[in-house]
Amino acid sequence: MPKDDLKKLYDVLELPPDAPLRDVHNSHLRLKKLYSGESIVLEPLGEEFTDKKKKKILEQIEEAYAKILASRAPEASRTEPLFSAEAAEEKLSEPEDPAAVVYSGPRLRKARDAKNVSLNELSKELKLRLELLNNLEAERFETLPEAIYLRAQLRTYAAFLGLPPVKVADDYLRRYNAWKEKTSPPPPEGASRRHRS
Amino acid sequence: MAPKSKVKEGEIWAIGGGKGGTGKTFITSSAGTYLARKGRQVVLVDMDIGGANLHTFFGISRPQKSLTSFFEMGASLGDLVVPTEMPNMSLITGDIHSMASDKITFSQKLKLFRQIMKLNAQTVLVDLGAGSHNNTLDTFLIADKMIVVLVPEVIAIENMYHFIKNSLFRKVKMTLKEYGFKEIVQHIWDRRQSYGIVNLKELIDYLRESFSYIGTILDHELSSFQIHLVLNMVRNNQDVQLGASIKSVMMKYLGIPIHYSGYVEYSDAVWKSVRERKPFMLNYLATGCAKEIEILTENLIKSADIDIPGVA
Ligand SMILES: Nc1ncnc2c1ncn2[C@@H]1O[C@H](COP(=O)(O)OP(=O)(O)OP(=O)(O)O)[C@@H](O)[C@H]1O
Ligand SMILES: [Mg+2]
Repeated sequence: MPKDDLKKLYDVLELPPDAPLRDVHNSHLRLKKLYSGESIVLEPLGEEFTDKKKKKILEQIEEAYAKILASRAPEASRTEPLFSAEAAEEKLSEPEDPAAVVYSGPRLRKARDAKNVSLNELSKELKLRLELLNNLEAERFETLPEAIYLRAQLRTYAAFLGLPPVKVADDYLRRYNAWKEKTSPPPPEGASRRHRS
Repeated sequence: MAPKSKVKEGEIWAIGGGKGGTGKTFITSSAGTYLARKGRQVVLVDMDIGGANLHTFFGISRPQKSLTSFFEMGASLGDLVVPTEMPNMSLITGDIHSMASDKITFSQKLKLFRQIMKLNAQTVLVDLGAGSHNNTLDTFLIADKMIVVLVPEVIAIENMYHFIKNSLFRKVKMTLKEYGFKEIVQHIWDRRQSYGIVNLKELIDYLRESFSYIGTILDHELSSFQIHLVLNMVRNNQDVQLGASIKSVMMKYLGIPIHYSGYVEYSDAVWKSVRERKPFMLNYLATGCAKEIEILTENLIKSADIDIPGVA
């Protein structure tokens, strides 16, 4: 992508082009909140600031966010030796390369914490029960709904936090299914644990 | 700090914002005191026509000289400067006969501006008082640093938008007038509906697109239109974050860059010091407010933004 175009995307997120990835996530979240909700900052503008205008800004924010992340994907997955010591240190403080992460419940909680989003806020934003979100992050699998519902909820959760929705759902459900297999009764002719020991 | 960041002599800071009672005078006196303590030569000018009270923040109850002499007797501004008990800092007290702002003639205004620019100081802080009168806006526009003081409430935000929009409109009009396009801005604005223009940003965009020459002028002249925002009387973190939101809205909506310089918390120490008529920054140095004023004044010097956790 030409440098100027990229600069414009960073302008939308109100960041300098050398902003660390963490700032990209934070800005995205902050602006999304500002322009999708009620705010005493927008209220006095009344009719001058139409819903259409807000929607357009929100679209621009999403577009910029997606494109910036895409443009930085290679940078994040580059192998260690290519980094200077300084860059490597910087990388530590940034979210890891999404491809290398396994999105378990605790890992999701960590991602949420890093963005300063409370469970309460998330529950309100996503219209999902607080208890469900809590159980999801704590991996209390026995309390969670069937995989087919869970997948949709995981994707919403991920999208809101700017995580890759499909990967989050896949990772999480893999763990969920593994638990399911373990707890369901063993097949009749299969070797039980007791048998093996 | 490295000495290379030397500021040009006679920088003018104007403090306004539209709404009354937001703390403009308190911020003017405190930022001024901080600068003087740092060793800068500071002159404070009380331009709150009709509501002058900057002198009371320094324990002066009956000023010997005031802007009245400038307006009524043609005294020169330099002769009206009075010292304060604070080294490096002096004061031009406001017009204490509550004179109406629109009594000031055009030539008086120009003379006043010329003389403000010539004051013998490194930083001249001008307290504009409340309101969006044209004289107030014009004084705001001659400043090197245009500072607005805001409190976290809807009416104040509304007044501030009004104040900034009017300043920008005036700036655009005056700029184009200088270049010989005297009537065009008002003409189009008055017929904005038929042009499909809803707000000032769209007017400016329209002018830019329709007349490329005007576009070049505006790009050049408006690049200096930067506002510095100070949030006063904040009570919690949510209030503090408002500054960042306003910055975003002003840019996305009006195309105006804002520096969120800093904030000052709500504190009883402030009104106590006002009641005691003692400079806040001298008597309450140990308070959180004093630290916040220090931070915001440093940011004003550097045209920088305050660092706020959670805001990139
Ligand atoms: N951070 C603060 N905490 C508590 N009180 C404050 C604070 N800042 C200002 N005040 C109080 O608010 C009142 C108004 O302050 P100030 O006179 O500076 O406002 P102003 O904007 O100059 O008002 P005006 O528009 O009338 O000129 C004062 O009594 C002052 O004590
Ligand atoms: Mg005042």
